[in-house]
Amino acid sequence: MRAKIQNAASEPVRSEELAGLDFFRDLADRYLSIEGLEARWVPIQREDLRPGKPDALRLHHLLSLTRAVEETLDSAFRSGHVPGTAFFSRGNEAAGVGSASCLREEEWLVPMHRNCGAHLAKGHPPVSIMAHFFGRAGGPSEGRDGNFHMGYRPKKITQLISHIGTMVPIAAGIAWAAKLQRNGQAVLTYIGDGGTSSGDFHEAMNFAAVRKFPLAVVIDNNQYAYKTPLSDQYACPALALRASGYGVPGFLIDGTDVLLVREVVSRALERARRGGGPTLIESVTMRLGGHSVYDRFTDYVDMEKFKLWQEKRDPIKRFDQYLIEYEVLTPEEIAASHARARREAEEARDTALKLPFPDPAKVAEGVFAE
Amino acid sequence: MSLITYREALSAALWEEMERDERVFLVGEDIGLGGGAFYITKGFQQHFGRDRVVDAPLSEAGFTGAAIGAALAGMRPVVEYQFADFVTEAFKMIVDFAAGNHYRRMGPVPIVLRLPSAALVSGGPYHSVNPESWFFGTPGLKIVAPATAYDAKGMLKQAIRDDNPVIFMEYKKFYNYRPADLPPQLQIDVPEGDYTVPFGQARTLREGEDLTLLTFGTSVLEALEAAQVLEREGVSAEVIDLRTLVPMDKEAILRSVKKTGKLLILHEARKRGGVGGEIAALIAEEVFEHLDAPIRRVGAPDCPVPLSPPLEKAYLPGTAQVVGALRELAAF
Ligand SMILES: Cc1ncc(C[n+]2csc(CCOP(=O)(O)OP(=O)(O)O)c2C)c(N)n1
Repeated sequence: MRAKIQNAASEPVRSEELAGLDFFRDLADRYLSIEGLEARWVPIQREDLRPGKPDALRLHHLLSLTRAVEETLDSAFRSGHVPGTAFFSRGNEAAGVGSASCLREEEWLVPMHRNCGAHLAKGHPPVSIMAHFFGRAGGPSEGRDGNFHMGYRPKKITQLISHIGTMVPIAAGIAWAAKLQRNGQAVLTYIGDGGTSSGDFHEAMNFAAVRKFPLAVVIDNNQYAYKTPLSDQYACPALALRASGYGVPGFLIDGTDVLLVREVVSRALERARRGGGPTLIESVTMRLGGHSVYDRFTDYVDMEKFKLWQEKRDPIKRFDQYLIEYEVLTPEEIAASHARARREAEEARDTALKLPFPDPAKVAEGVFAE
Repeated sequence: MSLITYREALSAALWEEMERDERVFLVGEDIGLGGGAFYITKGFQQHFGRDRVVDAPLSEAGFTGAAIGAALAGMRPVVEYQFADFVTEAFKMIVDFAAGNHYRRMGPVPIVLRLPSAALVSGGPYHSVNPESWFFGTPGLKIVAPATAYDAKGMLKQAIRDDNPVIFMEYKKFYNYRPADLPPQLQIDVPEGDYTVPFGQARTLREGEDLTLLTFGTSVLEALEAAQVLEREGVSAEVIDLRTLVPMDKEAILRSVKKTGKLLILHEARKRGGVGGEIAALIAEEVFEHLDAPIRRVGAPDCPVPLSPPLEKAYLPGTAQVVGALRELAAF
């Protein structure tokens, strides 16, 4: 286990301090840990998080593949191959990859609509993702649904419905089953900053906390819910503080740092597997693009803030820089990893585009199990 | 003629009602700063302020319930759901509280619930719903389904002035349509300024003698196309747009069926559990002796709305299907 971050005992943070929280500034080299009614800053020793080379190559591949798959889908959308719409996770890749790569093969992932990285980390093949987006018979829903509204049964990834919030109770239920079955498994799920306003989220958090279901919930706080900024979404300084109200541990972390996400989520999952119950992790990122491919986001996004995050907190650029600075990979190895990801995504696209569309005669088939 | 789009008609109705009555306010996801997913309220917040054009947190149950509370206490809220599909989140607030409040003698709940409804190309199972049958069986809710820009504006104003909760279905597919893009029967001028369209009055889009084609919502397009095909074959179809589902214009329906003796009911929603079944039963109960053929219904098959284009095409009731059903009826 890489339980390397020191719980350096700092003083509890005063509420006045939290009231002025600035995610960009305040999460630069520390994270907030919430236990009981108290929140404490914990400094991050980046050297301690340094991965070995094979580990680094794997993580880097997942991150660059996430971006390559989404960029390929984006251009496929523009060439008319994607019916409906598409949500992308640009800026949020490390949150998905860093968290889902902590799951064991036999454990369930309950992703949401901006979790391409989580799908890939859990083993969903890019060609299946593409087939789904292209509405093809070979995709996981056989053309019944599209976009990231998909699951992948062979790798224990649930599908989702569009209704935001609804998947958190479902994830709690899967964790409930794990508890009843005493199989030592934990469940990982996500919710957006917007989704935390839903009743379903609160109801599931409360139930999971009461019954100590083995669950980790990552709040993917990318600072906008569609066109709604955080100030219109919630009034507390950080969503992670709600952990106190549920009676579970909470973390507020910079979600653009893949190694930090992995560290914190793996600890939460370990705790869950040991019977310690749920953990709430707020992972802060910035959505580096529109809500969907259709969205004219420059109308309403604070572009100054956007550019700052784009320059300094692009999770992929960040990881590239880290690996070079800490001499884990060479620039050549990093470039090769990016090129390989691009090739893989393009091959998946080409294969998926050759798959047939579903047979319209079967439109009403499969509503019930036979 | 000021032939504005369906979207512009909705915006105009909201704007004018907000100017007219300061009790009217708007709430919904992304409607303020961003003007809404479909830009119906673009520019509203700048003009009316953050108290009257409210960007709600992602919590339909919460903001619908709160809007109902505000309505009880003297306000006139208009709630926007980003897609009609998401109204399920607020079902209890609408069906269990708002709908029954007046019957239980605690006064009316004057609220409008705007539901962007029906299929938009490849919307899939959660962005294409026709929600009417979810509400159709609940007493206390009015349900309207404007198909033209004229109706959209007049009925939205009527809904805001109505003292009851109104399920206002509006059609995403129509937002960008100008009357000039539509068949002549739907090219209805939208007058500038104030007018309302009373509920419970169907519109005959086309007079006919041989059979009645009863429809509403997005299906008016397929209905008119099909009627035109039949006309070339020497069959005269009367096409009626219901416009309001509750209250329903029973008189218009019965009158037409008595005249033609044959009825086809067409709606985009699934046939099973749909509004068409209720209308068919009404005809069977009240004017059975006037029927010259069994009542026919055309609606979607019994499965969720699929996304992939060939599946979606097979799912949505298209003109060819309507023409086929009309021919069979005519030949009966
Ligand atoms: C219950 C519900 N209401 C509304 C919507 C429409 N909608 C889709 S995504 C979205 C914003 C989601 O924001 P957030 O939860 O922060 O996730 P993000 O997209 O930012 O990752 C909204 C309002 C929905 N999908 N479900």
